Amino acid sequence: MSASDDSSPAKEGFAPSRRTMLALGAAAASTVVTIRPAFANTAVSVLNCQIPVPSPDQAGNYIAADGSVVPPGTPGAFPPAPRPLTGEEVKALLHNGPTPAGLDADAAQAYVKYIGRLHAGTSGFTCFASLQMPR
Amino acid sequence: MAGPRFVADPPEAVRTVAIETLTALYHRPSGTTHILAPPAPQILEALAGRPGDADALLRRMEERFDLASDDAPNAVAARLAELEAAGLVRRA
Repeated sequence: MSASDDSSPAKEGFAPSRRTMLALGAAAASTVVTIRPAFANTAVSVLNCQIPVPSPDQAGNYIAADGSVVPPGTPGAFPPAPRPLTGEEVKALLHNGPTPAGLDADAAQAYVKYIGRLHAGTSGFTCFASLQMPR
Repeated sequence: MAGPRFVADPPEAVRTVAIETLTALYHRPSGTTHILAPPAPQILEALAGRPGDADALLRRMEERFDLASDDAPNAVAARLAELEAAGLVRRA
């Protein structure tokens, strides 16, 4: 990491400053290491796992553009996904890939936001978490 | 430059522990743990629940830090790319 300091005559000199120097690092440097849980090793199943939108306990509810689950018929919200999305489809959507077959493009974006809000214990979470693993 | 806007999860979605100069971060939404080196934690903080493009991010960070970089735009773009790949920031 090249911390090329500001060598020009300091604007602030050595006056006491609350500001901290922060090196942004070289473009090629790496600042993130992800620790992979064991289930990430099941790479094959990751792409075949399924995420229902919304989860079965909220079946029938609509998905708002921001990903929240709203009552059926809410203006501006989208009907539930006609089928569970596969890990592969969600992975593509997360990377701005194509809209899966049979889905409306705007609805798909809302579904992705819904999926991004999933947390441990909700249906589809483990599938979504697995997709987050860098290859 | 109007590049893509990024957003990080709000502070309550992560749990962080400082380990000397590194930061261990548990990301609740994905259940994954990451080890971060500066400036990654500072970037996440600047984008937590507040979408912004690379320029906005630089401005926010400049409010708090003296940034050291030969090429800040490229460095920030590289940092955002890795954070996006790790699932810690997403496009807003």
